[in-house]
Amino acid sequence: MTPYNFTSVLVAVDGSDGSRKALDCALSIAQAVGAAVTALAVEGKLPAYAASVGEVDEVKHEKDQFFNDVLEHAKDEAYERGIEIDTDLVPGHAAEVITHYAKAHGHDLIVVGHRGHFLGDYLLGSTADRVTHHAHCPVMVVR
Amino acid sequence: MDATQLAAVLAGVVLLASMVSVELGISVALIELTLGVIAGNLFHLNANQPWLVFVASFASIVLTFLAGAEVDPDDFRERFGASVSIGLVSFAGPFIVAWVVADGLLGWTTRASLIAGTALSTTSLAVVYAVLVETGLNATRIGKLIMSACFVTDMATAVALSAIFIKPNAWFPVFLLVSVIAIVGLPKIAPWFFSRYGNRVIEPEIKLVFAVLFVLMVVADQAKGHAVLPAFVLGLVMARHYQRHRTEQERLRVVAFAFLTPFFFLRGGMNVSLGAVFANLGLLAVLFAAKLVPKIGLIMPLAKRFVPKHATFTTLLMSTGLTFGTISSLYGLNAHIINRTQFSLLITVVVLSAIIPTAIAQRWYSPDVDAEHKAAREHYETIKPQPEPVPVGDNQ
Repeated sequence: MTPYNFTSVLVAVDGSDGSRKALDCALSIAQAVGAAVTALAVEGKLPAYAASVGEVDEVKHEKDQFFNDVLEHAKDEAYERGIEIDTDLVPGHAAEVITHYAKAHGHDLIVVGHRGHFLGDYLLGSTADRVTHHAHCPVMVVR
Repeated sequence: MDATQLAAVLAGVVLLASMVSVELGISVALIELTLGVIAGNLFHLNANQPWLVFVASFASIVLTFLAGAEVDPDDFRERFGASVSIGLVSFAGPFIVAWVVADGLLGWTTRASLIAGTALSTTSLAVVYAVLVETGLNATRIGKLIMSACFVTDMATAVALSAIFIKPNAWFPVFLLVSVIAIVGLPKIAPWFFSRYGNRVIEPEIKLVFAVLFVLMVVADQAKGHAVLPAFVLGLVMARHYQRHRTEQERLRVVAFAFLTPFFFLRGGMNVSLGAVFANLGLLAVLFAAKLVPKIGLIMPLAKRFVPKHATFTTLLMSTGLTFGTISSLYGLNAHIINRTQFSLLITVVVLSAIIPTAIAQRWYSPDVDAEHKAAREHYETIKPQPEPVPVGDNQ
C-alpha cells in the first residue's frame, strides 16, 4: 500500500469545528482515491460518579440526539458530494474507541480534527494526540 | 447570616456547581458536595438553619423515592439468584465489619457504629449505571446482573436504616399502616389521577407524590423512625408506571434536581470538617478498609462463580457508594447519633468509594463490550420462545 492508496477511511466526528474540517478532508480523500469512508461518533463522558440514574439517563438522551444529528449532517455532506458513507455511534472513551474501531474494521486511514469540545482536552491532551499515539494505521490530524 | 442571605449564597453555589459539572463531566452531586465542603470550611456557613435542614431532609426522601422508581423490574427478575446473593453479601459484609470496627476498634457508640455500618455498606446504583451506559454494557447480561445486585444492596440499606434505628412507640402501627396504604394505593390511583389531572403546568401528579412522601415523613417522625424504606418501596412499585409515562418521571426529576437535591448535597458537604478529616487520616484509612476489604473479599468469590470472566470488574463496581451513604450519614448527624467528626470521616469514605473503585474498574478491568454484546445476543436467541406450530388445514 502506498501512502496515497487508502481504501477505507475512518473519520471521527463530534460536531466541533475541527471535526467538520476533518469530515471535509476525509470526503475529499475518499473522492480522490475512491476509498470507502465511515464517520464514527463516540459518545463518551457521561457524568462520572452520578448520584441518580436520572442524571445519567438525561445526559445520555441529550448525547444520543446530538450525535445522531452530527452523523446525519455527515451523511448529508457526503450525499451532496456523491460519496457513499457509513456512520456509526459507539459509546466509550473517544481515543480508545477510535483506534480500536479502526483496527477491528480494517480502516487504513484515520482522520481526526485537531481539537474537540471539552475542557479536559486542554488539560489532558486532545483526543487527536492520543489517537496518533495508539493507532495501527496512518492518522491525519486536520487543523 | 439570615435565612434569605444564606439561600442567596447557596443558590449561587448551586449554579456554579451545575456549570462546573457540565464542563468537567462529573456528576453535579459530587461537585455540590465538594463545593459544600469548601463553603462550609472557608466561609463557615451555618449548615443547620431550620429551612436548610428541612429541604435537605425532604430531598433525601425524594432521592430515595427516585432511586426506587429507577429500578427496572424485568432486569431484576432475569438473574434473581445471582443478584440476591451478590447484593446481600455486598450489604452484609461491610455492614458487619464497619460496625464491629467502629464499635470495637474506634470506640464509637453502638448506634454510631451502626450508622457507620449502614453508610459504608451501600453500593451506588447511579455510579455503576453511568459506567455501564458509558461502555455500552448496560444492555448485556453482566450489566443487568450488576444493576440488579446494586438494587438488592440499596434495598438492604433502606431496611437497615429504617429498622435498626426505630424506637417503636404508639405511632409505629400508624407508620406501618400508612406506609402499606401508600405503597398499595398509589400505584392503583396513579393511572386515574395522572390521566384526570396530569399534563398541566401546575403538575398535580408531582404534588400527589410529594404529599404522600410528606405524610410518610410525618408519621415516621412521630414513630421515631425513618421514611427511607417506605419511600424506596413506593418508588419501586411506581417504577412500572413511570416506565410507561417517562415525561412524568422527567418532570419529577427536574423539580428534584433543580431545587431539592442540591441543598441536600451542599448541606452534606457543609457539615464536613476538613480539619477533622486531616486530623484523623489513620481512622479514615481504617474506615475505608472496613468498606472495601469485606466488599472485595466476599463479593469476589460469588462474582467468580456467577461471572467468572468479569469477577474483578463486578466486585469493584459493587464497592462503590454515594447517595445512600450520604443519606445514611446525614440521618445519623441529624438524629445526633454521630458527631461532626464521625460524619466527616464517613462522608469522605463514601466519596472516596465512589471514585477509587470506579476508576480502577474502568481503567484496568473493563470487559470487551463487543464480546459481551455477542454473548447477550446468543443468550437471548437461545431463550426466545419458538412460534407455535400452525395446525394443518388452518393456515390460510
